[in-house]
Amino acid sequence: MDQNQTVALLKRSMPFQTVPGEMLDAIAKLARYESYARGDVIYHQGDFADDVYIVSSGTVQHTLGIGFQATHPEKILHSGDVFGWAAVLDNQRSRLAKTVCMERTELIRINGEELINLFRASPETGDIVMSRFATMINKEYTLPEEVAGHVPHFTQVPVTMATGLTLTMFRLSQWLKSPKPYLMFTGFGILLATWYFTVEVWKLPRFADMPGLTVVMKEWFSKDPVYGLSIYTPEYYQHIWVSVRRILIAFFLATVLGVPLGLFLGWSKTFREYVFPVFETLRPIPILAWVPLAILMFQGSETPVIFLTFLASFYATALNTMLGVETIDESYSRAAACLGASKWQTFKEVIVPGAMPFMFTGLQISIGVAWFSLVAGEMVSGEFGLGYVINTSYTMVRYPTIVIGMITLGIVGYTSSALVRMAGDYMMQWRVRELALGGR
Amino acid sequence: MNATKRFRKALFNRSKLRAVIAIFVFLVLWEIGSRSKDWFGFAVPWIGHIPAPTAVVVAWYGLIGDPGYWQSWYMSTLRVLAGFFAAMVVGIPLGLFMAVNKTFNGLAFPSFEILRPIPPLAWVPASIIFWPSQELSIAFVTFLGAFFTIVINVLGGAKSIDPRYFQSAQSMGSSQWDVFRRVVLPATLPSIVVGSAVGMGITWEVVVAAEMISGGGGSGGSGGGSGGGLGFFIWNSYVGGSYEQIVVGMISIGIAGFISSELLRKLGSYLTPWLRKR
Repeated sequence: MDQNQTVALLKRSMPFQTVPGEMLDAIAKLARYESYARGDVIYHQGDFADDVYIVSSGTVQHTLGIGFQATHPEKILHSGDVFGWAAVLDNQRSRLAKTVCMERTELIRINGEELINLFRASPETGDIVMSRFATMINKEYTLPEEVAGHVPHFTQVPVTMATGLTLTMFRLSQWLKSPKPYLMFTGFGILLATWYFTVEVWKLPRFADMPGLTVVMKEWFSKDPVYGLSIYTPEYYQHIWVSVRRILIAFFLATVLGVPLGLFLGWSKTFREYVFPVFETLRPIPILAWVPLAILMFQGSETPVIFLTFLASFYATALNTMLGVETIDESYSRAAACLGASKWQTFKEVIVPGAMPFMFTGLQISIGVAWFSLVAGEMVSGEFGLGYVINTSYTMVRYPTIVIGMITLGIVGYTSSALVRMAGDYMMQWRVRELALGGR
Repeated sequence: MNATKRFRKALFNRSKLRAVIAIFVFLVLWEIGSRSKDWFGFAVPWIGHIPAPTAVVVAWYGLIGDPGYWQSWYMSTLRVLAGFFAAMVVGIPLGLFMAVNKTFNGLAFPSFEILRPIPPLAWVPASIIFWPSQELSIAFVTFLGAFFTIVINVLGGAKSIDPRYFQSAQSMGSSQWDVFRRVVLPATLPSIVVGSAVGMGITWEVVVAAEMISGGGGSGGSGGGSGGGLGFFIWNSYVGGSYEQIVVGMISIGIAGFISSELLRKLGSYLTPWLRKR
């Protein structure tokens, strides 16, 4: 067999198909030609693994030893097939299979160590060949990935994982290279410019009555605010704290009561048939319509506001959790039951994690509606809080303070939903990955 | 014979029976709780302070002939419809345009997102200052309530379209307009429907609150705010001490909101026949 024939054979074999010409010549120089008669054993399992073989003509029976977890241990090899790859694996010095020629067979053998030394000189090509070896071991010899993973690696890939900071910096630089930030700031600029020009420069009818951009900003960041509320006054933080505390209490109660209720509503049919109708009858009534009733039911000014906020969150949480349980494929529960899970185990291991994505959607909606009803509750009744600030500023004609209240509400509200979303992502890593891969 | 059997089965199947039992038990408990002070001499916490269902029914019966009550229905419905349709007319094209045009999306979406977390009701005072009439300011706040939800839903729906649909439409020679009409529009229709249904719910919430806060529009003015809408009806009943009417107003708004959401859902399922369950 001459050099050209060897190169042609190498080109037909799966691992060497993509190797460039010069490299193929070098590999071909390592190859030695051999021929076997029918019934000859090329090697036994456990023999020393020195060479890689490529069948040129004839057929070889390749039988992997028991215990390597191959799904199909037996394989018939024809011209162009590669075997004896144990010779290129790291930490593998012995044969994994027994090979017997089934007819007169011609083949070439290449010393594994020499081949690897050759690849050390050109690591890029080597890595491609080795990854093709790995694929072949995994797919054609049906061996598990752990075996295929023993193929050597040549290029020095920096394997250090990106830390949080570098990752953030990388994302930041990618973001800065895209048109996004520039468009975003242009958008903000247009918004603020519209506000500034319509109100303060052109003084358009109707707009002229509104608090202008510069007036609001001066007031907000003033050490001595005209209307008594800026980032330097303690009252500002007191109002924020009062609102946040109400949200925290209501959201906590709604989650603690709403999640179990939703889980049971979704889980037990009997429970749902008794409880859900009442739930559904009350639900269309807008939360705000409860205001007077809440004032009647709970004396004082603090509890009614918290009750309203709670009610809105509670509906959202319970309903979404129930939906989440209903979307769980019945076969999961059945499979768990078949494997002998008790009712409690099914609930804990199947129902709760299965409902989690919807539950967190519910919590996110819940925090949104909580702010929504909190503001309404504070505006109608209640002392302190951001909604109260907005309403009293209106009645006392402190117009810039209205806008300060609105902006603050926006910021605090956004932060709280972001926190809920982050908690959700943290608790459902599998879901984040699924979404990142485009799974739906 | 068979028909009566089926009728009986439809009427008395277990889940419906349970629903009736549950609501009945709920009403009885409410009744007992509300009347606890008269009957047992002590008021049950919370429920003890609110009117009993029978008293509510009596009050409602008295209101059915009252034109002021129906005027409230009419006013609220009008405001909801005005705000809602304005939000549809502005929100759907805006959402679609943001989904189709990347530059516009980059320009407008961040600004949209910083305005969105401000609850609609926080806009009430600013809106009263800005708009010349109470009526317009209530409609504006109602509009805001539905607007953000509709835009977000339309945008989300358009963004979740499989990009292969665009590619295949383009490779078969579709123009921009064809892609919009045959791919984007049908694919976003379900989320437009969902967004509208949710938006409708929010509009009712907002209208009630806006009417309460702004004092009912006051254009009609006759007979204790009969021009004020259902939200003002509730507030007025509270101020006037007729607590039964509060509950009547709440139930009325519940019914109104329920009917409008159901109508929207029916309309939506008519528009998206491929989503109907067989």
